[in-house]
Amino acid sequence: MPDMSKSIHRFFVLAFIVLCFVAGAFLNLRLRHLRESEAFYRWILAAATNERLFEEEDTEDQDRALFSRCVETAEQSPDLRDVSAAADAPALDGVSLLGRIASDYKEDPRIWEFARSEATAGLRGDFLNLAREQKLRFAQDIQYAEAQAGGVNVFNLFFGFRKVAANFVWIEVDRYWHQGNTYRMITLMRTCVALDPHFIEAFVIGAWHLAYNVTARMLDTPWPEREWHPTYEVCLGEKERFYYYAVDFLKEGARRNPRDYRLYFDLGFSVYKQKLQDYANAVKYLSEAVRLPHEQYVPRQLFLCQELNGQYEDALAGWKDYATRYPDSTISIDVAPRFILRNEGLILERDYEQLRGQAAQAGDPAEKARLEAQAQDVWQKARAVWEKVNDPFGEGRKARMDALELREEGRYLEAIAFLDRARWESSDLWQEFSDLIIKIKQEAKIPLTVSEKKAVLRDSVVGVCAGMPPEEREKRLRAAEELQATF
Amino acid sequence: MKTVASFFRGPFYIALYTYREGIRKKVLIGFLILSLLVIFGSSFISSFLDPSAETDMDLKLIKDICVTAISIFGVLITIYVSASVVPNEMENRVIYTVLSKPVRRIQYLIGKFLGAQLIIIVNLLLMGFLFFMALYLRQGIMPTLLLWSILLTYFEFLIVSAFTFAISCFATSSLVPIIGGLFIYITGNLTEYLKDVEHRAGQTGQAFDEFIGQVASTLHAVLPNLQNFSLKMQIITGQPNDPPTDVLIPNLILYGVLYGLAGFACAYLAFWRKEV
Repeated sequence: MPDMSKSIHRFFVLAFIVLCFVAGAFLNLRLRHLRESEAFYRWILAAATNERLFEEEDTEDQDRALFSRCVETAEQSPDLRDVSAAADAPALDGVSLLGRIASDYKEDPRIWEFARSEATAGLRGDFLNLAREQKLRFAQDIQYAEAQAGGVNVFNLFFGFRKVAANFVWIEVDRYWHQGNTYRMITLMRTCVALDPHFIEAFVIGAWHLAYNVTARMLDTPWPEREWHPTYEVCLGEKERFYYYAVDFLKEGARRNPRDYRLYFDLGFSVYKQKLQDYANAVKYLSEAVRLPHEQYVPRQLFLCQELNGQYEDALAGWKDYATRYPDSTISIDVAPRFILRNEGLILERDYEQLRGQAAQAGDPAEKARLEAQAQDVWQKARAVWEKVNDPFGEGRKARMDALELREEGRYLEAIAFLDRARWESSDLWQEFSDLIIKIKQEAKIPLTVSEKKAVLRDSVVGVCAGMPPEEREKRLRAAEELQATF
Repeated sequence: MKTVASFFRGPFYIALYTYREGIRKKVLIGFLILSLLVIFGSSFISSFLDPSAETDMDLKLIKDICVTAISIFGVLITIYVSASVVPNEMENRVIYTVLSKPVRRIQYLIGKFLGAQLIIIVNLLLMGFLFFMALYLRQGIMPTLLLWSILLTYFEFLIVSAFTFAISCFATSSLVPIIGGLFIYITGNLTEYLKDVEHRAGQTGQAFDEFIGQVASTLHAVLPNLQNFSLKMQIITGQPNDPPTDVLIPNLILYGVLYGLAGFACAYLAFWRKEV
C-alpha cells in the first residue's frame, strides 16, 4: 500500500512538472508573439513617421508596399478607421490613416493593438520574412533580428547586455573624435546605434559632432567643387555634406525613436535653423518636438523659427500662450513681452506693405484713398509698437519703415544710405537690410557692387555643380543669364 | 486555516534560519561588495567622455552599467545561494537533525527555497537601493522605472534559482549545482539558437535533420528563454508612452513564476527520493 501511495504521489508531482512546462511553453509562444508584434509595431511607427515627416523612399526596399497593405487593413478595422489626427497636428494632406493616427502619440496604444491583432497576422508574418531577408529599410536593427526566426545574431552574443557594449563603443567614438579620426568615428557611431537603437544621446551628440565640430575648421566649398546630391537636390561640398549626414543621422534616430522630442528639436533647431537656415523645415520639426512631451525651452525656439519663417501670427499666439502657461518664469516676464511686441510690429508692417500694394493697384481713386488712409493708420500703429520695443531691433525696424517711405517718394539713394547705416546698428537685421538695399538698387536701376551681384547669384538657385541632371543644369543656367541681364 | 498556518510555520523558521546563515557567507558578501563597487564606480565613468557635451550621456552610462552589474553579480549570488543551501546542510549533517524532527521533506524544501529567495531579494534590494540613490542624486526625480526593472530581474533570477536548486537536490556537493546554474543561465540566454537549428535543419530535407529540427523546436518551446527578460534593460531607458511594456511585464512575471514552480517541483521530485 505505501508503494502505491508513493507511485500516486510521484505521478502527481510529475504531472505538475509537465503541466508547468506545458504552461511555460504556452507562455513562451505568447511572449514570442508579443516580441514579434512589438517589432512590427515599431516598424509601423517608423514607416508612419517617415511617411508623415520625411517622405523618403527607397525603391529597393519594400517598406512602402508593406506599409500600404497595413494601411488597407487598418482602413477596414472598425477600431481605427474613425480615429482622427491630433487637434494640433499640422495639415496631413495625402497622409494615410496610419500616418494620421501616428501623428498623435496618445493613440500609440491603438497602433499597438492593431500590430498584435489577429487581423494583422499575415502582415506580421510577411514583415518578419522581409525583415529576415533585409528588405525593409526601417527594420534593419538588432531588435528586429531578435524577432526573427533563426536567431543567430549579435544580440545573443551580449546576453542582452548590448546597451553596455554600445556604451563602450561610444567611449571609443569619443576617443576617435578627440584624435580627429572623423570618418572612423562615423562608422563607430553607426555600430553604436545599431547595438542600441534607443541610444538617443548617441544620435544627438553624433549629429552635433557632424554638423558642428567636424565642420568647424572647414571653409565653405566653392561652387565648382560641389557635387549634386540627388536625395536633397542641392549642390554639396565636403563641409555641406556633413550637415546632411547630421540630418540623415537624426532622421534615422527619429524613425527608431519617434516619440523622443530631443531628436526633432536637434533636427529643427541645431541643424535646419542654425546650420542650413532652412526655417520652413526648422518649424516643421520643432512643431513635432512641441507636440511630444518636451522641456520648457523647446517652444521658444519654435516661436523664433516661426518668426524667421514669416509665420508672425503663429509666433505671436505661441508667445502669448507661453506667457499664460508659465506666468512666473523669467522668460515670460522678461523675454515674452518683447517678442510679443516684435511679432505684433512685424504683422502691422506686413499689413502696411500689403495695403500700400493694394492701393497702388486700385483703379478707383476713392478706393485708393481709402486704402492709403488705412495703410497710414497701420503705419502709425507699427511705428508706435517699435517705439515701445526700444531696442536695436525696434530701432532697425523704424529705420526700415523710414527707408521704405523714402523709396516710395523716389528718394532711392537716401533710402539706401539709411538702410546701410541701420544695418550696422542692428546685426539681427543685417541680411534683411542688405537684401532690401539690393532690391532698391535693382528697382532704381543703380548698379550693384560685385559682392552684391555674387549675393544675388548665390541666393537665387543658379549654382551649377558636377553631377547635376541636364534639365536642372539648363534651368539654372537660363536663370543665371536672366539675372545677369538685370545687373 | 489552522492547518495551513501550522504547515507553513516549519518552513517559515527554516527559511529564517537559512537566511541568517546564508547572509553571513563570505563569498556572498564578496559578490555584494563587488557589485556595490561597480554601481558606485559607474558614477565616474562619465570622466571618459567629452565634458563639453552637455547631455544625459553619463546618466545613460550609469543606468546601463548598474543594470548589468546587478544582473551579473545578482545571478552569481543567486546561483551560489541556490546551489549551496541544501548540499551544505548535508555536508555538515544538519539536515539529519532537522528531518528527525516532525518536519516533512516538502516543508524542509519550501523553507530552504524561501530562505534562498529571501537572500536573493535582500541582495537585489541592496544593489537596487544604491542604484536608485545614484540615479536619484543625479536626476533629482524618483526613477520609478527602475523598480520595474528590478522586479523583472528578480523573476529572471527566480527561474535560474529554481533549476539550480533542483540540481542541488540531486547533488551531494555544491560544486556541481554551481556549474549547472551557470550552464542554465548561459543556455537560457541562448535558447534562440534552437530556433536557428530548427530553421537550418529544415533546409536539408533529410529525415535525421528533420528529426533534429523537431527536437530543437520542442526544446525551444519548452525551455525557459531568459532573453525575454531583456526588457529589464529596455524599460529603464524606454521611450515615453511605450505600450508593449504594459503587456509584457505581467506576462514575464507569470513566466517567471511558472518556471520557478517547475524548477521547485523538480527539486522536490529529486529530494523526495533522496536517501537522507
